[in-house]
Amino acid sequence: MFEFVRGPLIWISFLIFIAGLLYQTFKFFNLSRKKELIFIDLPFNPEKPKSKGFFQRVGDWLVYLKKETVWRTHPLMMVLTWVFHISLFIIPIFLLGHNILLNEAWGISFYSFPEFISDLLTWIPFICGGIFLFRRIFLRRVRAITTGYDYLTLMITLAPFITGYLAYHQMADYQTLIFLHILAGEVMFITIPFTKLGHMLFFFFYRFFIGSEYSFGRGRRTW
Amino acid sequence: MSRQETRPIDTDQIKRMLKKKKGKMKLLLSHCVRCSLCAESCFLYMTHGKDPQYMPSYKVINSLGKLYKKGGKVDHNFLESIKGIVWKNCVLCRRCYCPVGIDIPSMITFARTICRSQGVYPRLDESISESWL
Repeated sequence: MFEFVRGPLIWISFLIFIAGLLYQTFKFFNLSRKKELIFIDLPFNPEKPKSKGFFQRVGDWLVYLKKETVWRTHPLMMVLTWVFHISLFIIPIFLLGHNILLNEAWGISFYSFPEFISDLLTWIPFICGGIFLFRRIFLRRVRAITTGYDYLTLMITLAPFITGYLAYHQMADYQTLIFLHILAGEVMFITIPFTKLGHMLFFFFYRFFIGSEYSFGRGRRTW
Repeated sequence: MSRQETRPIDTDQIKRMLKKKKGKMKLLLSHCVRCSLCAESCFLYMTHGKDPQYMPSYKVINSLGKLYKKGGKVDHNFLESIKGIVWKNCVLCRRCYCPVGIDIPSMITFARTICRSQGVYPRLDESISESWL
């Protein structure tokens, strides 16, 4: 069982992940084929002449971000979600243990953080995940729209980090913990394209490609 | 209770309508991360003592979301309960903001279309004090 999970199942989970994302991408572009010109008075209005420099436009965009997005009403939540999502990517990619495995398998690797840095950074998803869980349980407005599915997806997201941390510190039987860690990662890869975790991809599609008042980019697609 | 005359609910028609827009609507519904950050963008939520039932996400999940969950197999009472959500609790001002970028007004509009197709909609002769929820 362990050999299957650390061998073929990794390939299966990657294939499902990539195929799932490609399918969802195809579905999105298929459903949103129509294009229309939208005149929106935003910093990135495409009809305005490009008289402003790059840095000035970035500055305008940052002002817009502060005034017209959830930054204004929930700045703490915005910081937490940014930090949480960035940590979900950088921790596994720049982890020494993962890069050693990559090097052994394919002869390539990324830069690796010192181990104590990775250890510290792992607390970011723990703390942020804990705050999200607290919100789900104790905030009335979040509780009103929460179901078991939301708790499950949060656990799916945090499980690789929890099991990886426990395995690295050998807080229990290492073989069991590393088995659970690999399995948790595979479950996460498989579920991303087909659950609400797909917002990993669709956040960019919705905010940058679909034309609306709240678009970040110059999206002109419509459903 | 509404004084509208009830006519048989055509569940086949509802199913056809749901199926026609299933691609877009199911995508939007599935990507709602239930963060509730859309709440403050709704003035009805802000002016009704921050009652969660006025949150844009709550409205969508409990109207169109439930329609898709039931697969269109609904009765008149269910559509009457949705009527309150999509008409009384929402004025389609399109002010609702979703961090993920989900088009909430389009889902409310679609839910209204389905209700209207079955003869369930607010009438001018309904009493203002009448509670729809």
